[in-house]
Amino acid sequence: MQTMKNKLSRRNFLKAGFLSSSVMVMSGCSLFSITTPQETLRVLQDDLFPKAEALGINTSSYLHIVFHHSRISKAEKEYLKNGVKWLNEEAVKLHKTSYVKLLSTQRENVLQNFVKTDWGEVYLADVMNYLFEAMLGDPIYGGNTKEAGWKWLQFEGGQPRPKERYL
Amino acid sequence: MYDVCIIGSGAGGSPIAYELANAGFKVVVLEKGANYTEKDFNKDELAVSRRDMFTPPLSEQKHIINEYAPDGTFTRYDGEKSGWNFWNGSLVGGSSNLMSGYFHRLKPNDFKLKSVYGEIEGANVVDWAISYEELEPFYDKVEKIVGVSGKIVNHKHQEPRSSLSFPYPELQTNGVTKWFDKACEVLGYESIPTPRAVLSQDALKRRGCYYSNFCGSYGCASGAKGSARAALLQKCEAKIITDAFVYKLESDAKQIKKAYYYTKLGFAHAIKAKIFVVAAQAIETSRLLLNSKNKFFPQGLANSSGEVGKNLIFSAGGSGQGRFVFEKLTQKQQEELMTTGLFFNRSLQDWYEYEAEGKKYKGGTIDFLFEHQNIIPRVKREMYDAEGKLLWGEALAQKIHKTLTTSRVLTFEVFNDWLPTDNCSVSVDDTTEDKYGVLVGVINLNGHPHDLQVGEHLAKKAVKVLEMMGAVEISYNISSAPPPNLVAGGCRFGEDVKTSVLDKNCKAHDLENLYVTDASFMPTGGSVPYTWTIYANSFRVAEVIKKELSS
Repeated sequence: MQTMKNKLSRRNFLKAGFLSSSVMVMSGCSLFSITTPQETLRVLQDDLFPKAEALGINTSSYLHIVFHHSRISKAEKEYLKNGVKWLNEEAVKLHKTSYVKLLSTQRENVLQNFVKTDWGEVYLADVMNYLFEAMLGDPIYGGNTKEAGWKWLQFEGGQPRPKERYL
Repeated sequence: MYDVCIIGSGAGGSPIAYELANAGFKVVVLEKGANYTEKDFNKDELAVSRRDMFTPPLSEQKHIINEYAPDGTFTRYDGEKSGWNFWNGSLVGGSSNLMSGYFHRLKPNDFKLKSVYGEIEGANVVDWAISYEELEPFYDKVEKIVGVSGKIVNHKHQEPRSSLSFPYPELQTNGVTKWFDKACEVLGYESIPTPRAVLSQDALKRRGCYYSNFCGSYGCASGAKGSARAALLQKCEAKIITDAFVYKLESDAKQIKKAYYYTKLGFAHAIKAKIFVVAAQAIETSRLLLNSKNKFFPQGLANSSGEVGKNLIFSAGGSGQGRFVFEKLTQKQQEELMTTGLFFNRSLQDWYEYEAEGKKYKGGTIDFLFEHQNIIPRVKREMYDAEGKLLWGEALAQKIHKTLTTSRVLTFEVFNDWLPTDNCSVSVDDTTEDKYGVLVGVINLNGHPHDLQVGEHLAKKAVKVLEMMGAVEISYNISSAPPPNLVAGGCRFGEDVKTSVLDKNCKAHDLENLYVTDASFMPTGGSVPYTWTIYANSFRVAEVIKKELSS
């Protein structure tokens, strides 16, 4: 019996901490503040789609699944984290403080400027992608509470439903 | 020692396993993926459609893709970096578990494309080594064993049949099909109920369709779908070894001796058998033969002709859609439109052959179906306004709600021949390896301009139907982008040992005990989704192998 040429490596699960890890927000060449993806993404998702919260759906908790998912690449997770930095730097540039500390009108102003760049638009679309996964995926993943997202759109999930999460 | 070792458990390999095991022979099937049964399948959109649970992660197994431009230059894509995914389903039964089961036979002229329609410059079109009449009994066999439901209607391109009707009645259809039939009548088109490899009633020790609303891309929880697993492998005593990736076949000058495979934990094992059948889906079949080169076959196994991997084909065509909006419908029509679960199941084959500017063309098939019910892509599509600007907040919520609750999209898919060309092929990369340490396959992609011309002709006919039905926002896209789930060629069958890999029975010219029974054998693919043909041909080859083993 021989072993294969390249040993099968165990999938490198990011054990913890991605969501609560530090993101350094720069103002020019200076460090302005430190935030976390969790803090910024929670507020950003509420700004992008407040209907979710109105339906009683907590989309930000689903991000824990995203950041720990075996089938979402490390590059994608890094991208999500980097976008937090870019968004906050836009906030600092426009209003001299980090995104979560702004008034809602100021955050809207940041988003309107952020989306004018190609990378800003792509990033916001990516965040919304996971927001809609949370809101409209099977309730077993914890986002689509009591099928609130499905009911809002008069949608019936297919049967049979999953008995466990695919992670 | 086994009588038969089959590599791959999909539509190409399973009929061999079914026929030979049920005839009392000792059969082993090596499958790279895991085993699932009806009890394991569910409709988890996140797992199945967004996290691709049934295909390997591209970080572990990928392809290199060389996309050719008309001037002969190409752009190289790394499958992992680009996300270009050619895997279709690594599980027992293969991608047949995940198919929609739109089942059309090829037609007699599909077997003699060169003779009937002539040469096309830049395309390597040849006639098949067998005729429709030779394959017809096996199409019939598939109807009865795998289970095909439908209703025969006479139309000008209806192929000859030995059975008058399908063994199972049509599946229930949505009321909107009546709008379609009426529109076709006005236009003078012949509406055809689409045959489906889905049981409309309990039969064959399987349960009938329960109209889950989630068929294509998902495993079937009732067993109604005629997957190779539900219809064949669960009906025979063939031994199935899962998580077994076959990386090499060992041979001498005349015979295959062993198949080597890696387990999930990375250990290598070998299987001995009298006969080996490769059916790993076209790209991986060619890759395995090329990776198995040895001193007797320095260009790759069964490749003295140099033809292994050549003339890879897909299904040409594209897709289109139109939207039905409440504003233009009566209350009753709105209710019909929004009734989910029932199938649409309508096809057009009026232009399977047509004339334009005095020239006869081989045309194709148009299948009509409701947009897939997966909700996340339908919602994501609403994220942009008419100018392509990203929306958010209340404006986005209102747009999503209105679109999804007061309209529905009917789509169509065009299937026409993907002409074989020199630049469409499979090879093996010199350095890039997969997680097993095995060189990955290179997919060279090239679409012939003729394919686009035919596809456009068909799409315009489909648009007329949608217009007549009152749809809005009608659009279509015909392109050379290959559908990864319809891939064939690479090991053509034929009489000439210099221009084909396999003989007419799909046995390698070069080796006494090697058969290839996935779609690799097909020199042309017809103008239909060709899963039915793969099944039928595999049943045909099973007869040959049975006779050989019996003698």
